[in-house]
Amino acid sequence: MSHSTESSNLTAEQFDPAVGKKLSSISFAVSALGLLISAFGLFASREQFAFSWLFGFMLIFTLCVGALFWTILHHATDSEWGILVRRQMENVASIIPALSVFFLPLLLLCAPILWKWWEKSPGADPLLDAKAAYLNHTFFTIRYVLFFVGLGGVATVLARRSIAQDKDGAPEHTYVMRNAAIIGLPVLGVCLTFAAVDWLMGLDYNWFSTMWGVYIFAGTAGSSMALLVLIVTGLRNAGYLKAVNVEHYHVMGKFMLAFTVFWAYIGYSQYMLIWYANIPEETIYFKIRNTESWHYLSTFLVVGRFFIPFPFLLFQSTKKKPKVLCGVAAWMIGMQILDLYVIVLPSLHQTGISPSVFDIASIAAVGGAAAGLYFRRLSASCLFPKRDPRLAGSVNLHN
Amino acid sequence: MADSSVKLETPHELVRPALVDHGRSIQWVTENVSNIVESSTPKWWLLSFCITSPIALMGLICIVYQISNGVGVWGENHPNGWAWDITNFVFWIGIGHAGTLISAVLFLTRQKWRTSINRAAEAMTLFAVVCAGIFPAIHVGRVWYAWFLAPIPNTNAIWPNFRSPLLWDVFAVSTYFSVSVLFWFVGLIPDLATLRDRAKSRVAQIIYGVLALGWRGGNRQWRHYEMAYLLLAGLSTPLVLSVHSIVSFDFATSIMPGWHTTIFPPYFVAGAIFGGFAMVLTIMLPAARIFPQINDMITRNHVDKMAKIILLTGSIVGYAYLMELFVAWYGANKFEGFTFFTARANIDGKGWYQWAYWIMMFCNVISPQIFWFKKMRTNYVVVFVVCQFVNVGMWFERFTIIVTSLAQDFLPSSWGHYSPSTTEILTFVGTFGIFLSLFLLFMRFLPMIAISEVKGVTPEADPHNHHLKH
Repeated sequence: MSHSTESSNLTAEQFDPAVGKKLSSISFAVSALGLLISAFGLFASREQFAFSWLFGFMLIFTLCVGALFWTILHHATDSEWGILVRRQMENVASIIPALSVFFLPLLLLCAPILWKWWEKSPGADPLLDAKAAYLNHTFFTIRYVLFFVGLGGVATVLARRSIAQDKDGAPEHTYVMRNAAIIGLPVLGVCLTFAAVDWLMGLDYNWFSTMWGVYIFAGTAGSSMALLVLIVTGLRNAGYLKAVNVEHYHVMGKFMLAFTVFWAYIGYSQYMLIWYANIPEETIYFKIRNTESWHYLSTFLVVGRFFIPFPFLLFQSTKKKPKVLCGVAAWMIGMQILDLYVIVLPSLHQTGISPSVFDIASIAAVGGAAAGLYFRRLSASCLFPKRDPRLAGSVNLHN
Repeated sequence: MADSSVKLETPHELVRPALVDHGRSIQWVTENVSNIVESSTPKWWLLSFCITSPIALMGLICIVYQISNGVGVWGENHPNGWAWDITNFVFWIGIGHAGTLISAVLFLTRQKWRTSINRAAEAMTLFAVVCAGIFPAIHVGRVWYAWFLAPIPNTNAIWPNFRSPLLWDVFAVSTYFSVSVLFWFVGLIPDLATLRDRAKSRVAQIIYGVLALGWRGGNRQWRHYEMAYLLLAGLSTPLVLSVHSIVSFDFATSIMPGWHTTIFPPYFVAGAIFGGFAMVLTIMLPAARIFPQINDMITRNHVDKMAKIILLTGSIVGYAYLMELFVAWYGANKFEGFTFFTARANIDGKGWYQWAYWIMMFCNVISPQIFWFKKMRTNYVVVFVVCQFVNVGMWFERFTIIVTSLAQDFLPSSWGHYSPSTTEILTFVGTFGIFLSLFLLFMRFLPMIAISEVKGVTPEADPHNHHLKH
């Protein structure tokens, strides 16, 4: 029984499968090239490969988990503004299970290089012995599995149900997705936090910060919304998603602004509290990153991730200009790359910046494969949830 | 690429509930909110005020007694230099967050359900900040030197310590209070004009008339008003976040175990919203009982949404508690470990304040989990009971943070128990008297629901309203 039915000029849109296949093939080719170069690095310089691969992997992982966050948030809050763009978030989040494969080189070949606790024998370091119940091979591997089962499971349920709703338009799917999202929210919080602890904070097992999970989340959510803006604009430029208008850009821009500020707030709080208390076991993280040439990148990160995008995102007029917003979105993803670079690489090159071709190769390898999978999914379903019961609210959005 | 046209239909079961029940009209909203102010003083109000105002007076007497005799009349002593004073300060300032959150953040995020609760929540914010401001002022001992905390230029040779978070607190709280008052007052203007136009006595006409600042409700006035409201909402939003973040810096910038942890700022903000919403419901649910007509404006849907926010923020607070515990263990710092696992959780039987810690855990983390169920979120009795748990839990959270870290610090030879003095207890009880008396006055003389804003969400105000077509 329907409450109200509005006629519209909106038509179900399917991405051209031929173009999708072509883009997918190109992406896989880029990935193959990245894999080839990285494989060379594995033998030529395993240390560099390990850190570069972790950097590239984390970049794509955070972008995909961010997409899952936005999908979850959408359902959990029973939102309607983003229905027209939600399918793209679902498509990106659906890549998460496949990413588990890309973590295997780190787990199987590079763990002792990245995480120094990996090979330390009991008794070698009393501080490590105290946390051996958490930092041990078995539990680390179990957690890796749980992260991908948890995140991938939620992403898969949400994507499948959404596509199933395309067929029958049943409101039951909405309820199932809402419940899955509500359960998914703590799952995402726990998985992302401990993934950040295990894979990034664990680069120095003596260092700790209770804010770390929140800090990684702040960057994850902001950059993923930026990715969504770029994807949607790309599709619009290709002649699709014409129902997405400046009102949607305005909302996406507002979220970008919110997370630009949130990242700055979290980053500042974490830095300031560690700087102010000046306890050596905590300051060691910033000491490395604020000395030698790393200092320039750390400073640029603060300016680039907050001060530069902030004035652009503050005003309604700029948020409503897709071209300007796309520029800011691309910049924000660049800053996510820089952020993760400054988190990961100083652990290897403590004396200063040392760029490597493997840094780019890892992004190409993991990112290319992720893009290939995304383009495959792109033409597999309608570009927006065409029978979502709340679609009218998204089509007729007014801020 | 196009294959078929898409129908935009919303099934009956997914239609969002109306924000004003029973299709109430614009005139009904004006009448029923204004009547609360215009009718003669009810007996329950007089009785309530006769209870709360002596309690407030008792609190003021305690404050005068403490100022006259010094902080020695409190239970604070080495090593517990801070205890109930700062606990009460953080408790009240936390409560003072929900109002501006509802008014500003929910306004910016276009949450129209805020309209019926924002006015009372904002008023509550102001009164809570008044109560909060008392404690840091009087805890300095020589209160006549409290003005040293003001941002006085160094040229005056007073040399305030600009590196002290306590000083930042003064800036943050006073800015927050000023902007909140302004925001509240700007929101009141159209409703004050309504009261002015309806006033029957000359005195009321003059008072409401002066306060309404010549409001006539013209197009130009509305445009300016809405722009001012938007700008104030934009200014208030970072203030909401900054105030409790800076309060958290009071602790987190130190190196005390249990105080110095990087998650404190967002954890304090989430806790403040959590406690603030619980207090909003603590006040609004009885108000809805006393004034049945407001049940059409503050519906079960509103209570459901507020309960959801309590569940969310309570879970964020729970996340922070667990991260603190995890890092206290993972960090392998003996002092941190001792504070969390012995002094607070008391897993080895050597802690003194485990009751406070576990009350906090139960009230703030466990009790709101009942809100996972819609039936519980819409049951006013359950919601009210859980809100009382939250009120208690949030006070104990601050007590746990402050006292457990100080009472059992680095050196066992310097440990010392803390217990509050009668003056201290009565001062805190007195602030409830101040808070409730101010709120009763507010209910009596100002519209406790934003008339003009609720009118905007009535079915009548909706151009697509189906009722009007019949």
